Amino acid sequence: MTIASLTQLICFAALSITLVVGSLGVVLLPNIVYSAFLLCGVFLSVAGLYLLLNASFVAAAQVLVYVGAVNVLILFAIMLVNKKEDLAEIPRLALRRLLSGGVCLGLFLLLLRVDLTTPWAVPGPVGIGEGATIRIGEHLFSDYLLPFELASVLLLMSMIGAIVLARRDVFGSDLITGEDVDQGLIEKVRPPLLLDPTTPSPSALQETI
Amino acid sequence: MPIETPIDVPLQAYLVLAAVLFCTGVWGLINSRNAVRVLMSIELMLNAVNINLMAFSSYIDGLEIRGQVFAIFVITVAAAEAAVGLAILLSLYRNRETVDMERFNLLRW
Amino acid sequence: MNRFPLYRIGGPSRLRTRAAAATVRSTRRSFEADMDLFGVLPALTELPHLAAASLASVPLATAPAIGLGITAAQLNSGAIAPEAAILIALLVCLLVDLAGEEAAVRWVPPICYAGLGTALVLLARQWNAPLEPSFLGSFLADDLAVAFRAVVAASTLLSLMISWRYVERSGSPVGEYAAILLAATLGAMFLCGSTDLVSIFVSLETLSVSSYLLSGYMKRDARSGEAALKYLLVGSAAAAVFLYGASLLYGLTGGSTGLDAVGVALQTSATPVTALALVFVLATVAFKIAAVPFHQWTPDVYEGSPTPVVAFLSVGSKAAGFALALRLLVGCFDSFDTQWKLLFTVLAVLSMTLGNVVALAQTTMKRMLAYSSIGQAGFVMIGLVCGTEDGYAAMVLYMAAYLFMNLGAFACIILFSLRTGSDRISDYAGLYQKDPLITLGLSLCLLSLGGIPPMLGFFGKIYLFFAGWADHQYLLVVVGLITSVVSIYYYISVIKMMVVKEPQEASDVVKAYPPITWNLAGMGTLRTALVACVLVTAVGGVLSNPLFTWANGAVTGTPMLQQSIASSAAREATAIAAAPVPPTPAILG
Repeated sequence: MTIASLTQLICFAALSITLVVGSLGVVLLPNIVYSAFLLCGVFLSVAGLYLLLNASFVAAAQVLVYVGAVNVLILFAIMLVNKKEDLAEIPRLALRRLLSGGVCLGLFLLLLRVDLTTPWAVPGPVGIGEGATIRIGEHLFSDYLLPFELASVLLLMSMIGAIVLARRDVFGSDLITGEDVDQGLIEKVRPPLLLDPTTPSPSALQETI
Repeated sequence: MPIETPIDVPLQAYLVLAAVLFCTGVWGLINSRNAVRVLMSIELMLNAVNINLMAFSSYIDGLEIRGQVFAIFVITVAAAEAAVGLAILLSLYRNRETVDMERFNLLRW
Repeated sequence: MNRFPLYRIGGPSRLRTRAAAATVRSTRRSFEADMDLFGVLPALTELPHLAAASLASVPLATAPAIGLGITAAQLNSGAIAPEAAILIALLVCLLVDLAGEEAAVRWVPPICYAGLGTALVLLARQWNAPLEPSFLGSFLADDLAVAFRAVVAASTLLSLMISWRYVERSGSPVGEYAAILLAATLGAMFLCGSTDLVSIFVSLETLSVSSYLLSGYMKRDARSGEAALKYLLVGSAAAAVFLYGASLLYGLTGGSTGLDAVGVALQTSATPVTALALVFVLATVAFKIAAVPFHQWTPDVYEGSPTPVVAFLSVGSKAAGFALALRLLVGCFDSFDTQWKLLFTVLAVLSMTLGNVVALAQTTMKRMLAYSSIGQAGFVMIGLVCGTEDGYAAMVLYMAAYLFMNLGAFACIILFSLRTGSDRISDYAGLYQKDPLITLGLSLCLLSLGGIPPMLGFFGKIYLFFAGWADHQYLLVVVGLITSVVSIYYYISVIKMMVVKEPQEASDVVKAYPPITWNLAGMGTLRTALVACVLVTAVGGVLSNPLFTWANGAVTGTPMLQQSIASSAAREATAIAAAPVPPTPAILG
């Protein structure tokens, strides 16, 4: 085993341990701010894995988009919605978690079996190495031109839609009739036909808004 | 003529890593009560997919690297989805003052 | 080492030259040739992407002059001309919206009609046109794609016509609403014709993200936000699962994302991985068409979203989902058709049963139509499971019929909720005295959804059942017939509520019914759409011959479906020849 491959192995081991521990922290830690920072670590170690796979461009994109944009966005969202909440207890929470853990473990074993038993066509052709960025550009403007252009529509729409949903303005009145409007569904919440006295009716909830 | 040494970490190692990440994401998706954490779990799942794509791309498709292009599309779309998700969450938070998934029950689940 | 999907790259001229030279070296050389194009492309890349996307109007005129690289003919960008028209309408809507809300209310509707109308005309011109893959194998405008894209575009047109008043009344911005709905249409239309995993993914997400935004569009209403959040979380999870399946497929093909390459690779692959990929991909398709047990989002999203959006989701989005199902399952997983047909039989039986039975217990119209749409998707799946020419044609026909009858029903309930602010079924009591138009329209559409002759829905349904019976899908047909009877019960009970009640039994909202006026902006188009849908539903059944011809033409003009039909016929023939005794027809096919 050469030095290079040993280094590679050590890097891979380190990155994968960070990745697994980080991702477990994201889903398990009670404080969501810690989760968000661990998510940042997960994204960075995924970028490291891409570097190990000779994909410097995608690694850069991963750092820029995921760490730079998505993670910052998530942190902002946490700050904006970070009100101290007392979560109501759910009966049989531990059982539910255990059960779903079992399901996920089963899924993992299934994926493991598929990953390990399938005869993947390795080794493939020798990698393109540093020419990868050029090759990606060629693909984006030849056989992936259509999804590339469609992605621009998707990004434009999500930008506009996110702004429309998140901004605070409210039209005071219907532009045509001049009536007051509330930017809600036309079908208003009505008390249910058979009122159950034990549960609060949805209309009560609606009126608090 | 020097031949580039093949990568020593086997392909399967990456695939197993991706499977671990994916299943962690699925578990978080099912169990998280904070809506932001559910979004984070979805990001974990998408990253698992990306690891898969990148590993296949460099081990099987080293010349054409279509997997890398695919991964770039996934990253793009994931960013758009996260932005939209957080905008929806924000507008819902203004109306309901909570991000607890268990309390989003105006509509019967 | 013949893993390179050479036959996918380029149009017919390249197809001949490349098939001869299927070596790595020649691929390299031709890619070097392709690279020469990039001397030309900077001019294109400096344009905004959006302008470049409307390639139909900006053909790569400079490329043929070089003689190398990708020519406009190889891109065959004319295939997406209808989408380009919609994209232009979308951009113009956004620009007009900059001038203020008054200008948007005035100008956005005609712009949308122009764009969608042009798209429909262009689609009609693509019908039976010579078939060439476009965008180097990313997109295929075969007749099936044209038919489903037409259904999507028509559903958007009708949904927009019934939306204006609803959106203005709720005080939400109109320009962005139309733009997002047009973007969803764009995604759905591209989804119908995509033949590449990457294009499928991106168009699926364009449709989904726009749908999430639309369901949360009533942003001061907690129900709308909740619907959007649930839709987003479930939808993104489904997308991630689809992507995982797609990544496995990419690994299996050895480096190709085209559906035909995936189909070739699947024929020789090991079982566990293909089964897993099939299940993952199928889960996404089932999510999109809301088949039980992937339906949980449907009732909530339908109840919480703005009603015109529900109209689009229940028809346009579902049609795109069925086109995707055909493309993936028939075109790609054809060698596993026993497996996926079995799975789809289960999904169809569950959908028909659960959708129609749970609809009985609903008290609001939107929720009832949500469950009924789950049941209707189950009926359409019968055609998919058959896999015969009649089966596919019946699917296309039923989607077209469903377009008119469902949108007609939605037009009626939107009109009712605009006038009364309610969508509770009991509030419809005694409506016929106050508003005969809604009563008549809703009755006809619901009867058609239930499959009562001589409505359009009856012919669609009978064709589906006939195709199923001819293909020995007895279980599906029997379940379909029984659940149809159940569905007729709940449709009729709404009609009974409207018609049979005495005046003094009318609900409070009907007693306080406002005088009928049509002079507000947006009401006229609502009436036009309502009358058109009801007319087609009522008369289309008797005069359904053109629709039959159209649906059959869509199937015969689609090579992918023809190949699948031929190969299954060949398999059957060899099975009969091999066995001395003819095999008994299996119930599950």
